[in-house]
Amino acid sequence: MSVFTLPQAAKEEVLLKELSALVEHHREKCEPYERILAASGYTPADSIAGLPWLPVRLFKNLELKSIPDDEIYKVLTSSGTTGEVSKIYLDKESAAEQTRRLGATVQSVLGPKRLPMILVDTKAMLKDRKSFSARGAGVLGMSNFGRNHVWALDNEGHVDLPALKEFLEKYGDEPFLIFGFTYLVWLHLYEVARDNGLDLSNGILIHSGGWKKLIDQAVSPEEFRARLAGVGLTNVHNYYGMIEQIGTVFLEGKSGGSLYAPDFADIVIRNPQTWAEQPVGEPGLIEVISTLPTSYPGHIILTEDLGVVHGIDDGDWPGKRFSVLGRLPRAEARGCSDTYREAA
Amino acid sequence: MSTIRYRFGAEGDLTAPSDDRLTVGDPRVIDFLGKLARKLLVPAVARRHPELGSLGFFLRPAELHRVVKHMQHEDALVFPRGNVFHVPPANVDTIFVYSWALSALAGNHNVVRISERSATAADTILGALNEVLAESDPIIGRTQRMVTYGRDDAITGALSKWADVRVIWGGDNTVEAIRKHPLRPSARDLTFPDRTSWAALSADGWRAADPAQKRAAVLGFTNDAYWFDQAACSSPRTVFLVGTDTSDVREEFIELLIEVSGQRGWEIDAAMAVEKRVNAYGLAATGAISSMEFPANSVTAMSLITVPDAPRHWIGAGAFPFAEVGSLLDLVPAMNRQDQTFSHFGFSAEQLREFGLALGGRGVDRIVPFGQALTFGSLWDGYDLPREFTRLTTLSV
Repeated sequence: MSVFTLPQAAKEEVLLKELSALVEHHREKCEPYERILAASGYTPADSIAGLPWLPVRLFKNLELKSIPDDEIYKVLTSSGTTGEVSKIYLDKESAAEQTRRLGATVQSVLGPKRLPMILVDTKAMLKDRKSFSARGAGVLGMSNFGRNHVWALDNEGHVDLPALKEFLEKYGDEPFLIFGFTYLVWLHLYEVARDNGLDLSNGILIHSGGWKKLIDQAVSPEEFRARLAGVGLTNVHNYYGMIEQIGTVFLEGKSGGSLYAPDFADIVIRNPQTWAEQPVGEPGLIEVISTLPTSYPGHIILTEDLGVVHGIDDGDWPGKRFSVLGRLPRAEARGCSDTYREAA
Repeated sequence: MSTIRYRFGAEGDLTAPSDDRLTVGDPRVIDFLGKLARKLLVPAVARRHPELGSLGFFLRPAELHRVVKHMQHEDALVFPRGNVFHVPPANVDTIFVYSWALSALAGNHNVVRISERSATAADTILGALNEVLAESDPIIGRTQRMVTYGRDDAITGALSKWADVRVIWGGDNTVEAIRKHPLRPSARDLTFPDRTSWAALSADGWRAADPAQKRAAVLGFTNDAYWFDQAACSSPRTVFLVGTDTSDVREEFIELLIEVSGQRGWEIDAAMAVEKRVNAYGLAATGAISSMEFPANSVTAMSLITVPDAPRHWIGAGAFPFAEVGSLLDLVPAMNRQDQTFSHFGFSAEQLREFGLALGGRGVDRIVPFGQALTFGSLWDGYDLPREFTRLTTLSV
């Protein structure tokens, strides 16, 4: 069962209805959200791009939830670069729903059965409370979709070659799942597979975590794919997602290079001067849209990531296909109360 | 100890005892500052860094002599305080010259800590300072030093013990961090903590103004607001509309603001536009504002629900909360110690004086017309700086 089925027009028709209802739901249940909409003069929208969005950083600065405190089942946190933390409130139902939808999304490329799984990470990372929230939650969340897991890295962060070899001996002849952060896959799996002749041709790789570290090493997404194909790994899916819209991931299609939204999600690229939707091919800020957030008003979020739509209904799956181009730098004050922290 | 980078003046032990003596208004200092002023007022420099033009104007000999005269005291002999350690802010690149120059003019020995993050205008100034140094009396280089060093408690501690006056710019956090280092019992701090600045527009005054006056007012306001991305302590943020039914004034003001800021080429990039959205949405979410408009990236306009809700933190460049009040006096209860500059348009001298007196010194250090919010003066933040940099000896015969 795929969740990548709806052509753009059909998707927008469904989503506009559901999202408009979600806007009303959050207005009713989340007072700060209602105040924001009232202050910006909200009127019902007749298009997805016309729906009101929240800047992603609001989830770091404010407590935004649409459920009473006694229904909070889980509070997810993300660590930001400046120590600011997003707080995402889930009730029992939304926590279950986000797991279910994430499962349906990845099963669109994995099939319905749990596959043997290589986690390109170290178990020790789960114990490190500081780095746990973002990376650990990602790994743990994804590990649900596999079985007979093996950690590719030992507790010291070195590649555990014997464990990998043993895994491939047992499961290498059938489809298996590989999950990890993009730069860890590049640094620790690709190079080791190449140098040791590991056969990863039955693997399906799902990876995420941004390209910055790789671009610093002059590795483009295209080269990443080409080099992995060199060690037999041709079934590769990057994804884009964020804790503020937990459960929704934008997945790379099988031919690579473009991300797609599942049926319950979409994106809009906005022009940062006019704030209008950009035409195909014009880069701008990525707005992520999903019907999953019911317990907090994260259904339409303007990210601080730059992206571009390459085409609509013309790729591996129907809908918009897009790329993430990088991050918008953070604006800084240059005033006299701009304290210099090196002062002391 | 981390390494000290000597940017100006003699290298070597910064806190060693010195036999050099300067007087209040020492001719060698006046000569030096006058030459510096000429360098900064060269059209090419002033064009590239207009803030250096203002600095050059401040340092011209006539102004220096006026300041020296002001340092004199009828009932006492006037002397330098001694050693002054300056910690200027990182990003307002000309402040360090103002505070240093006034202190040097008072005859003090100075050490100025220049931030590692100082911007290009600071480099231009340092270049000019060093050029002038070569053609000046060597005592200048021996007594006036500017250095850059990383976070280093040992150096900051030693300079703090050396100082008779320590000048700390850069806001609350810097003041608190530097104050951890004790001064000598006889020494003291001049502190420049976080400040908030405001603008007020008389609705009647605005309506009575002709188009050219309105335009000039908005041009002045635009310079005040956008120059340092609205983040300087003197940059106005909230605009108080003083009068009744002021929406026509607000509308016209915003319209002109968009036009003038566009013509002046103040650009708001995507990151700043997002920053402003984040802050405006935050103010809406917490119930501080009842409406927000984004007519252009250069201008974000908000309506405050009450005057005390006016934000006292930076909310981005070109972000203006508006609030209507019946009279200036209605603002008095909302003003406090943190408030620095109150820039105005369209009021009578009488109205402003009444407002200033009603404040009673409990808040607001400067009341200035639109366009002068950023103009540095030797009376600053409630201090009479030339006097702060001198000491008095009484003599009765």
